[in-house]
Amino acid sequence: MDPLIYILDIIVFIGIFAIVALSLNLEYGFTGLGNFGKVAFFLIGAYTYALLIEAGIHFIPCIIIAALVAGLIGSLISLPALRLREDYLAIVTLAFGEIIRIVVKAEHGLAYGVWGMTVPPAIFWQGASFRMTLVAHIGLVFVCLLVCFIFVQLVTNSPYGRVIRAIREDEVAAATFGKSRLKYKAQVFAMGSAIAGIGGALFAQYIGFIEPYMFMPMLTFTVWIMVLVGGPANNWGTLVGATLVQLFSRGAKIMKDYLVVPFDPTDLQYILLGLLIIFILLYRPGGIFKERPVKTKALERVSQWKERS
Amino acid sequence: MISAVALTLIYGLSRFPNFAHAEFMALGAYMGYFVAEQLGLGFPSSFVAAFLASGALGVISYKAVFQPLANRGATIIHLMIASIALGFVVRHSIGAIWNWAPLSFSLAWSSFDVGMVRVSGIWLWLILAALVLGGIMHLVLVRTKIGKAIRATSGNPELALSSGININRVTLTTWFIGAALAGIAGLFRAAGTRLSPLLGWDILLPTFAVTILGGIGSFYGAIGAAFIIGLVENVGVVILARLGLSTEYRMAIAFVILILTLLIRPQGLTRLFRGT
Amino acid sequence: MEGTLLKIEDITKSFGGLHAVDGVSIDVNAESIVGLVGPNGSGKTTLFNVIFGLQKADHGHVYFNNKRIDHLAPHRVFTRGMVNSFQFPRLFYQLTTLDNMLLAARGHRGDSLINSLFLRKGWQYQEDELTQKALEILELLELAHLTLAPAGELSGGQRKLLEIGRALMADPVLLLLDEPAAGVNPVLGRKIFEKIEHFRQRGMSFFIIEHRLEILTEFADWIYVMDKGKVVIEGEPEKVVNSPVFYNVYMGER
Repeated sequence: MDPLIYILDIIVFIGIFAIVALSLNLEYGFTGLGNFGKVAFFLIGAYTYALLIEAGIHFIPCIIIAALVAGLIGSLISLPALRLREDYLAIVTLAFGEIIRIVVKAEHGLAYGVWGMTVPPAIFWQGASFRMTLVAHIGLVFVCLLVCFIFVQLVTNSPYGRVIRAIREDEVAAATFGKSRLKYKAQVFAMGSAIAGIGGALFAQYIGFIEPYMFMPMLTFTVWIMVLVGGPANNWGTLVGATLVQLFSRGAKIMKDYLVVPFDPTDLQYILLGLLIIFILLYRPGGIFKERPVKTKALERVSQWKERS
Repeated sequence: MISAVALTLIYGLSRFPNFAHAEFMALGAYMGYFVAEQLGLGFPSSFVAAFLASGALGVISYKAVFQPLANRGATIIHLMIASIALGFVVRHSIGAIWNWAPLSFSLAWSSFDVGMVRVSGIWLWLILAALVLGGIMHLVLVRTKIGKAIRATSGNPELALSSGININRVTLTTWFIGAALAGIAGLFRAAGTRLSPLLGWDILLPTFAVTILGGIGSFYGAIGAAFIIGLVENVGVVILARLGLSTEYRMAIAFVILILTLLIRPQGLTRLFRGT
Repeated sequence: MEGTLLKIEDITKSFGGLHAVDGVSIDVNAESIVGLVGPNGSGKTTLFNVIFGLQKADHGHVYFNNKRIDHLAPHRVFTRGMVNSFQFPRLFYQLTTLDNMLLAARGHRGDSLINSLFLRKGWQYQEDELTQKALEILELLELAHLTLAPAGELSGGQRKLLEIGRALMADPVLLLLDEPAAGVNPVLGRKIFEKIEHFRQRGMSFFIIEHRLEILTEFADWIYVMDKGKVVIEGEPEKVVNSPVFYNVYMGER
């Protein structure tokens, strides 16, 4: 395979997963929500997009609507689910993810079930070479990534961002000082789901074909690893995490294709990945990048005051 | 059911969902296979192998991974993720050694009919084993010193500690038994269907469903819940067929029960079993 | 403001057969400092939890400004003007001292998502003002040099002070304090109560759990004594401390 194409492919995947990872970072890194059903919203985004494109709608509204649908469903399940303690929330979200996947798989009338759906490319013009469409896709993905990144940074570096961190630290204390736990958690969950939906839509768009077996819990775990490695509550860290994890898994595939080894490198890859995660959790649970304090105008006032004294 | 009982013990004690449980099952199955098929020692010895191997894995996991993490103040989520990571390691090690293609035990199970339902011989063995193991566990928990210690620690760790119970030993024992039982469960599953590294995962979420419905840490709850869910699943399949819905939904039934339980009554069925 | 600010009526709260709080009735008047004393385990902190909605009473009502609040969630009780503080500080340890203070502020526009994202001018000004206010309080408590330090780096005594500081930041009408002077040196403890008196004169009311009787007798207007979940005696500090009932309660513990 043309090495350049391969590299560009990796870049697109990094972009898509970075978006999903940012959404999880918002939910877990900043707000402490252990969402193990991320893949569900990725799936919802992907399938919504695919169905809308099939209906002939232009791709930009498709992406937006996919995000909204994912966000809406996110807020619906958040209302009952967020009252649970963290491990129950994790299990419920995990189960939810699987249920959604089973529904899609089973309901052939809904979205072609097991046979999957093809998705025509959004950006396509006469005489465009494969490479050029690829570059166009990269552009699309990274524009979306930029938008999502700016959004997440704005949210987390504001008084709102301060509140959600407080909820993460001690939700009872936060409630004691007037912050409604449910309201903030539900909002964050909805935002996170919507952003994951965007990732899903882009995924469907790029791959061109989606079917239920692409949305296994493994995807959720991969995204979790991205967040943990990069450093929870640090959006830049999440980007780095996404890049590293993608490169790692791709690296194994390359080994598989180009080197001859006595065992299947995929297995080794997972073994190493598993060990790596355990290692990180034991020795550096904060990930690569630490959390940075909330950056607002408040800091200016403090430095003014410091100068005076 | 066996799997759920095992899980409920560990979950109740260490307070986090151990996703590597799936791999405890898988390892048991594979060790059993190894012993029975590759070493040619026959099926009964595979029981022992599965029991011991998985039990050992459980203890090793606890000592090497979960205990250190807990000592460093890891949150429940960290422990969960560690268990998932551990699962990767074990599952892919198994895959690397034995290959990912599904294997079968070379035993023919006779089938016969009970009423309208075709029952395979393995099912009878499974039920028998479940009853026997259940009975043994019951005796252990109620009659032996260690059993009582386990129940005490499950309920109230601080109190247990101050009563002089050696928590460390209790925890290790619990992990061993839990994992060992999981291994047996895995073995049965493999014998009844097929053997593959993904064995554990297929039953993991339904196992969680049973554990939670029964109440985490409640031994008898798990047993009761297993019956209920098994029943509901099978009845559900019939209903689904009548309604014209796909049988894919069978898996979803357990999940739905799981979600509903957590939302409505997170303690599951614990209160109904007094004196547990 | 006159009249009964906080009215606790026959509150009972049990935990599995044990009556942590047993038929307690207490009145806290406006602009007063009311003390609550009693041996460990007499139910004082549980009572506070019930008042603030952190736990639900089995029986009885709580009124604040003549309106029932016992069914309200904690964040709603806060909006009514009551502020709670914890005996063992529940700070946000990964966040800075300043953040801890700012989070306590009432009615920060930036708390809303829309405002945080879009109407930035609105809350930026507030951030500035609130930071100013926070700095003043921190100076008062001699914590200002730690403004940007993560709360986790503060010593035990400093954490207690911050706990009080953020409670003050919230502009309470009634402030519930759970052992504010515990763990700080006596000089500072006294200073804290002097500040409390200072705020009381500006209209704030206080309901304080405290073990240090000397301080309480000096500053409190009225004292309630609890033992094993019940109020055994109430009255002016001098009288209460010298009464035989009081003696029994405390001697019984020792």
